[in-house]
Parts: sequence; C-alpha cells; structure tokens
Amino acid sequence: MTAIDPDVRIPDPIDLDRQEEERLRAAAGLGSRGEGRGEYAGFEQVGLPDRPPQTERERRLFSVGEGEMLLNMGPQHPSTHGVMRLLVKVRGEVVTDLDPVLGYLHRGIEKLCENATYTTVLTYVDPMDYMSAMHNEHAPAIAFEKLYDVEVPKRAEYIRALVVELNRVFSHALMMGFLALDMGGITPILYGFINRDETVELLSSISGQRMLFNFFRVGGVNWDISDEFISRLSTWRSNVAKTIGDNELLLTQNEIFTARTKGLGILTAKDAVNLGVTGPNLRASGVPFDVRKAHPYSIYNELEFDVVTQQAGDTYARYLQRVAEIKQSIHLIDQIVERMPHGPVQAQVPGIIRPKPGRAYAAIESPRGLYSVYAISDGGPNPYRFRMRDPSYITLQVMPKLMPGHLLADTMAIMASLDPIMGGVDK
Amino acid sequence: MEPDLLLGVGRFVLATTLLLLLTVPTAFIIIYLELKVIALMQLRIGPNRVGPAGVFQSAIHGFKVLAKEDFTPDQADRPIFTMAPWMVFMAAAMSMLVIPFAPGLVALDSEISVIYFFAIIGLSVVGLLVAGWASYNKYSLLGGLRSAAQMVSYEIPLTLSIVGVVILTSTLSFTNIIDWQHHHGWAILWQWIGLPVFFIASTAEINRTPFDMVEADSEIVAGFATEYSGMRFGFFFFAEYVSLFIMSAILVTLFFGGWLAPWPFPAQLGGFGGTIYGLFWFLLKTYFFVFVSIWARATLPRVRVDQLMGMAWKVLLPLALVNLFVTAIVVVVFKL
Repeated sequence: MTAIDPDVRIPDPIDLDRQEEERLRAAAGLGSRGEGRGEYAGFEQVGLPDRPPQTERERRLFSVGEGEMLLNMGPQHPSTHGVMRLLVKVRGEVVTDLDPVLGYLHRGIEKLCENATYTTVLTYVDPMDYMSAMHNEHAPAIAFEKLYDVEVPKRAEYIRALVVELNRVFSHALMMGFLALDMGGITPILYGFINRDETVELLSSISGQRMLFNFFRVGGVNWDISDEFISRLSTWRSNVAKTIGDNELLLTQNEIFTARTKGLGILTAKDAVNLGVTGPNLRASGVPFDVRKAHPYSIYNELEFDVVTQQAGDTYARYLQRVAEIKQSIHLIDQIVERMPHGPVQAQVPGIIRPKPGRAYAAIESPRGLYSVYAISDGGPNPYRFRMRDPSYITLQVMPKLMPGHLLADTMAIMASLDPIMGGVDK
Repeated sequence: MEPDLLLGVGRFVLATTLLLLLTVPTAFIIIYLELKVIALMQLRIGPNRVGPAGVFQSAIHGFKVLAKEDFTPDQADRPIFTMAPWMVFMAAAMSMLVIPFAPGLVALDSEISVIYFFAIIGLSVVGLLVAGWASYNKYSLLGGLRSAAQMVSYEIPLTLSIVGVVILTSTLSFTNIIDWQHHHGWAILWQWIGLPVFFIASTAEINRTPFDMVEADSEIVAGFATEYSGMRFGFFFFAEYVSLFIMSAILVTLFFGGWLAPWPFPAQLGGFGGTIYGLFWFLLKTYFFVFVSIWARATLPRVRVDQLMGMAWKVLLPLALVNLFVTAIVVVVFKL
C-alpha cells in the first residue's frame, strides 16, 4: 500500500474549467472574469451574451441604467409556460424593457417532417402545440390531400370537425385556468383539467392516446367513432357547461380578477394586424377574422356559428373572448353530432403516398390563431419542403409592445392571456 | 432568591417551552387542513396515504424538510442568511405568549399585552427583509422589498382597527377585553367596521392569499424564500402557518369573545372544566377563521402590489379612522 503524499493536490475539474475559460477569454481579447469570486462569479451577467452587442436593440436591452436590473424569468420559472425565457429589465418592480428568448424546446420538427413520409408526418406534428394536437394534424392533412388530390369522405370531415372543436374547448378552458394560476388563483386550473381529462378520455377512446392523438390520416381519420365515444360525448356535453361555468363564477365577476386584468396590456387592432396576430387575441382586439369563416375549410361553411369579437383588446377581453369561443364551439359540436352522416371514414390511399410535384397550402383556425402548413412535393415519398406557421410564435412578438410600463406581476398575466404554447413556438 | 420570583421564572420557562412546542402541532394541523380543504374545494381527494385520511401528511412534510440539504448560496451573507428564518419564527412564537387560550390558560397575562403583541408580530418583517437581502438572489430581493412595503402599509390600519376595541373596553389586556365582552356582549356588535379592516389587514400582515405577493410563486418564484432549503425553509413555512393561527386567535379574542361560548348559559365556567370548556370554544372559533383564510386561498387570485397598497392607504386607513372616531364618540355619549 502506497502512502498518499499530502503535498500532491488533485486539481479540481471546476478549477481546470475556469483556467480554460480564462485562457479562451484572453485569446478572444476579453477581460478576466475576476479573481476569487467563488462559484457564482459573474452571477450578475447570467443570461447576457458573452460578446459585444450586435444590434442596436441588443445594445439598448443590455445596457442597464441606474436603478435598473436585468431579470431572467425562465427558462426554469414556475410560470413561464413551458420553457420560455423572458429577459426582463426592471426598475424596481416596473418593467422597462423585455425580450422573449426562444429555442429551449427546439426539436427540428420541420426537418424531421421533411425526412418522413406523408403518412408519418402527421405523427411528428402532434407534439408541436401540445394543447391542440388535433389542430396540428388537421392542417398538414388538408395540405397533403390537396397535394395528392384525394377527396375526404363526408363522415371523416364531420369527425375531424368534431374532434378539433372538442380540442378547442379544452384548450380554451385551460387558458382560463393558466391565466388565473399566473395571477395566484389556484383553483380554476384544476377545474380546467377536469374538463380536459373528460375530453382526452373521450378522444383516447377513438384515437388510443390521451395527449398526442395521432388520429388524422391523409384522406380521412384513423377510426370511426365508437359507442364508447358517443356515450362519453353525451356525458361530456352534460358536464362541460358546469366545469366552464364554475370557472366563470370564480373569475368573470371576481373583483380582484377584473381589477387586475381590465385595461391591462391593451393590444390595439392596428398593432395586432401589423404584427400578424391571429386567433382569439386578434378577435379580442375587435378584428372579426376567423379562418373558419374567412377561408372555410372542412365542413365549416355548412355549420352555423358566430365570429365573436371584443372591443377592448385588454387582458380581460382576451379572457372573455376565450369564454365566448368555448360557447361557440359547444354550439358547433351540437350541430356536428346532429348532422353526422353515415359512410366510410377513410378514402383509398396507398401506404406510401407519392404526390405529383407541386405545392399546397392549408390554413386552419387553431385555438391560438391561424395555423398553416405549406408543403412542396418533388414527386418523392417525402415532402420536399414542409413549413408550418405557428400562431404562438407570431404572438410572442407583441410582448415587448404590451409589457413595458407594467409591473412585474402583470407580465405574467399578459403572457398568460396571450396563451403561447412553447412547443409550438420552438417547433 | 425569593420563592415568588423563582416560581414566576419557572412558570415563565414552562409556558414558553410549552408554547414553543405547541407551534409544531399547530402548524401541522393547519398545513393538513389546508391540503385537505383546498383539495375538497378543487374536487380532488387530497392527502390520503400517510395515516388515516392522510392526517400525518404534514408530519411527513416536516421530516422531509429536516432530511433535505441545508444549502447556502456562495455569495450569501451567511450570518444573516442563517439568522433570518428564526427571526421570523421567533416573532410568531413569541407573540403566542399573550394569546388567552382559556380562563387561566395564558402564558403572559400582562396589562399591555395588546401593545406587546403588535410590537412582536411586526418584527417578522425584519426577518423577511433580511432573508431577501442576504440571499443574493434577485427574486429574493424583490420578495423582501415587497414584504417591507406591504407591512409598512398594513401595520397602521391593523393597529388602528383594534384601537376601537381598546377604547370600547378601556383596557390593553387581552383577558380584560374578554372579561368586558363577557359582560357587554361580543365586541363585533359595536366593531363591525373594525372587523373587516382587521381581517383584511391581518391577512396582508401574514402574507396570506390574496395578499401573498411576498412569495408570489408565479412572479418571483418563492420570493424571500427562493434560496432557502431544508429546515431553514421549514422555519419560514412553520412561521407562516403559526402566524395564521395567531392572527385568527387574536381576531377571535378581540371581536368574538375569545374563550366565551356563543350563548350565556354559561358563557364561561370556573375550575379545570371551565378551562377545557373555554379552550374548546376558543379553538373552534379560531379554526373557523383559519378555514376562512384557506377558503380565500382556494378562491381568490392575488392582488397586485400597487393595488394592495392603494387599498391600505385609501380604503382601510380612512375606514379605521372613521371607526376610531365613531367608537370614541359613542363611548363618550353613551358612557359605555
């Protein structure tokens, strides 16, 4: 047994890392991080780019004035929906500047889709906007049907409309909950999840999955609706008004809720249109644009529903907009169930689809706005280009417009009212 | 040493030890109540694994925080960081000294127990503020400063709201206030403006929903407690629930007759049986207001910092002053 020489010191890997970093910094012509400042040295600079500012915007954001402080909210934060990071410049509690930082959930779904066959693309798009997986599948399905020029059976169209409207209801119901949760109300989210659980059980009875349904196929849907689905649907229909109504009782007339949301984060119609905002956020600003009405797809021109709008454009209007749209969706579901025709649910398509070279565009109204797919075929089994426009991503760019000037607490309320889903933002 | 003094010191040591020990089951009971009541309000089942109906859930939580790593950030101000939790906890535990649980069951029956109470309970803000400052964390700092702003705003309406009761009963001792209520009826009969002011201000004082911006989890992670872990966090956690109990107890003492039964046959009894009788009514009333606070937590969203302070200065303070003047005039005119 050899004696251990007490003078030999095993170097700490962290020290080695630090030395290496210092060497690299010296080589790059940057200053030292400072000596003897412990493990958390440079804490104040966490999140700042390790380089001179590249743009005027960066220079303005990263120059911290007297009494100001940069605060990283996220990517790990109790309420930054998923892995969103907000770089917030605060003066006391007042937000003076703000920059959403994206990319923490990037999975390269577009590229994955370009390497998949047309049938399997529909499985890859599911986890994008995970609150509305059915909508994610709807747009590519329509685009590929246009590319391959296949007619979808009527019953399949009705089933599609039924499941996307069900999806819209629980997505909006959860948004009500998340908005309350970000303002400290812990109960509405639970009521939202009661509604969601009923819906996903319902949808899993025909698709087999609870979250990423993988239900749509090119030229139809995977399964016809079953008896279990019908019985669960009637249970859902009798409960949905109660679960949504409970949330409304907790929030709509709540003194604290209205005081905090009315007049907060006003998005004018002009700004909303200029920034490309769509969906409930746009309609809450008074612009009656709904893809289902403006460019009807599927069977929406056969159904009767209103495009509800609010005039205020504030956080409260965006909340009311969701509530109103839930009611419209339930109205739509009633009509769809009543008019459901008989027939096949899947058109005849080969296992591997090879559309003729060409391009197709399909837009649908997802719970977050206009969600569209642009697909180019080169005649092969995979899409040559597969591009998705996710509404959450577009919505994020209004945040630096709405939030400065408000308190830190309000940034969360505004963000929740815009309802971005990071899975869709980063794709 | 004189035997009287020795007896007094011995009694004091015994009382403080018992009260310090009492804080633990009190916090455990309220934490369990909160878990279970909120679960039922949210149509969940709540804790149901540890013990019958999950009654030992909060004890398990207590052991969990004991077992966790006690982490101190590298740049934290160590002595202050270490001291802050027990400053908060001691403020809560020390104010328990003057709570009259039942006839003869009060640790410190002082002539100025009301002043003592409000002096001690206000100390907890120091703990929260230094916890936020010493953590070397931006969220903690924001939380600590929020707590300071909040407590400065709420201390004044809180204290003014009880001056009405003090004028009415012309005493500063909690036991004498209860005695007065025994003869004249509960103070709520006269102090129906003072009660809402006291209730709202005390909710803000102990950072309960809807005034929990100090540890607003959706905005500033956990506020002052962000960097705390292990038993230090446990102390903050305990202190919060013990303060909830204390504030409910003081509310009951000041406005709802303390240990007095809600009917006069008899409102209180003598002897050991009377102590049990009084304790029963006192705890029943106190836990009712604990329940109200839990109920509010399940129902209400959080108010904003500026709204909270606006309400304190523009609504509660004038109301408390009006209550004070009206009470004074009534006492002088009707010679109560």
